[in-house]
Amino acid sequence: MTRSSIFYWFVTPAILLALLYAAALSCILVFSLREHVPGSLVVGGWTVENFSFLLRPLLIAVFSDTALICLLTALATLLVGYPIAYALVRVRSSFLRATILIIAITPMFTGEITRTYSWLLVLGNSGFINAALLQLGLIAEPVQMMFTLPAVVLVLVHFTLPIMVIILATAISQIDPAYTKASESLGAGPLRSFWHVTLPLSAPGLIAGIITCFAWTFSAFATPQLIGGGKVNMIGNVVYQIGISSFNFPLAAVLSLAGVLFTIVLVGLMRFALRPLDHIRVG
Amino acid sequence: MSRLALSGTTALILLASSGVSLAQEVLRISSWGGGWRDLIAETIAAKFTENTGAEVEFITGGTIDRLNQAQLAAGAPESDVTFTTAHVGWLYQNSGLFEPLDMSRLSNADKLFDQAKISPGHVGVWSYVYTIVYVPDLVPDVRFDSWADLWSPALAGKIGLSDFDPSSIIAATAKMEGLGIEDWRQATDKLKALKPNVRAYFPSDAASEQLISTGETPVQVMLSMMAHQLRDQGIDLEIVIPKEGAVLNMDAIGIMKGTDKLDLAYAFIDAALDPEVQAKIVAIKKGGATVEGVEVPPEVAALPGVFLTPEQWQSEAIYVDPQLRAEKLTEWRTWFSEEMIAN
Repeated sequence: MTRSSIFYWFVTPAILLALLYAAALSCILVFSLREHVPGSLVVGGWTVENFSFLLRPLLIAVFSDTALICLLTALATLLVGYPIAYALVRVRSSFLRATILIIAITPMFTGEITRTYSWLLVLGNSGFINAALLQLGLIAEPVQMMFTLPAVVLVLVHFTLPIMVIILATAISQIDPAYTKASESLGAGPLRSFWHVTLPLSAPGLIAGIITCFAWTFSAFATPQLIGGGKVNMIGNVVYQIGISSFNFPLAAVLSLAGVLFTIVLVGLMRFALRPLDHIRVG
Repeated sequence: MSRLALSGTTALILLASSGVSLAQEVLRISSWGGGWRDLIAETIAAKFTENTGAEVEFITGGTIDRLNQAQLAAGAPESDVTFTTAHVGWLYQNSGLFEPLDMSRLSNADKLFDQAKISPGHVGVWSYVYTIVYVPDLVPDVRFDSWADLWSPALAGKIGLSDFDPSSIIAATAKMEGLGIEDWRQATDKLKALKPNVRAYFPSDAASEQLISTGETPVQVMLSMMAHQLRDQGIDLEIVIPKEGAVLNMDAIGIMKGTDKLDLAYAFIDAALDPEVQAKIVAIKKGGATVEGVEVPPEVAALPGVFLTPEQWQSEAIYVDPQLRAEKLTEWRTWFSEEMIAN
């Protein structure tokens, strides 16, 4: 078997999946061009009127909120995930490494709904944090954490952390420890070595991690729905609220297409903005 | 002799297999899962099996998921009978998914409330209300007699409303303002004035249950059956029927077009409309009946939201025609998202 035939075998499933995805998107595109008939699932004639909804202030606000939430989540996940990934790769004890790995990736094994409901019990007015603070006499009234943007970002960070840790750990494990030893032998302290050697060399992981978490968060639905309580909405929530739960499927199709396009454009822009990190050098 | 034995054996096998096929006849029911499925199994399905000998198989899912599945399987339905909400039933009806009902084939049809004859393809099977429910300890200074009490400044940041179906609060506000539901737009300023009191919008009845039981939103416009269920579990809740009435809805049942089990499907609906079966449903779920002649213990009949006669629907309920709800839902939902939730 030649190299090129092996290549085709490997690529074929991806092509088939891409075709399937394109076919589904085409169906959604067709639906987006049909007229909604109130009180019926049967759609009317052809129209482009549905797309005018994208210019409504609600949609503009939701799209910008979504971008902001995704960016904050990606950056916060990076800050939390990097030390965990670093420890995962560099720690010598295999027991400790296994423990870190289990703690880091456990969130992946619980469903989004379960995870989100458990956060309700932590962040609520009578939840764990408020109960503890009240018990310690540090606050007189519960702190309002639920239904706020920071609470949504916090839970999304929990959601995306395993992805970031896995990507960063892979990147950090590719860095030869000899570089750090060399910098330390030349007089650099651990922090300086990290800043000038490890961090720059893990740049590919940083880029991949930020972009993946950014795109991953875009599809969030249950978390903003339950933790945001309607006060913090992302694109998925609006597709559900205005499109699906009111049976306006042509509008749901328009919003879904706009969401996909918006994600592609933003991820492309992020990739462009992060290009300087590709050329970063150890120094 | 051996030929005779062989013929006899063959006849016995054929007889047995025909008996097995009769005993194994299965009607496929599309319904919600969890407690709703159990309710239907314990009451309607049990009566149906007792009457016909046929079994029931459930296909469960959310209201919208099942509607989409039915649309995709139009003409070759995956279920024979479908439970859904009254207004979503109109979407089935208008999309040609329901078989027209021949009322002469339902022995209990004459007992149906007029409002429960929803469309040519679906009938109401039980009723419930969306009304004011609150945790008394968390709002000790507020009394609820009217929907207008929700606007009290003492409730700032305490109320939870549904974000998936705003029709209850819209209908109640219109009624409170002395308007018909068709003129709801004249009540939009009043609705917007409620925003400072709204702490959260819940996406499902399950989330509503979570938010009120943890005290996160101590006042809600909530499904009465769920509030009764929480009270039965020991959660301290008060259920109010405001003087303007509680907003009444129905769940409904219809036969899927294309089913090859029409006789059994009619038998199932007839079992659902049997007053004894409805009495069991009312006793279990603390909802309302859709047929006359339902008798329940007085303590159950006295519970808020347990409406057993058409007169109670007139005097204690705000009833929005399900067809109008189905047609208006998009408009209401869009307005609610843009003017209430987003701002």
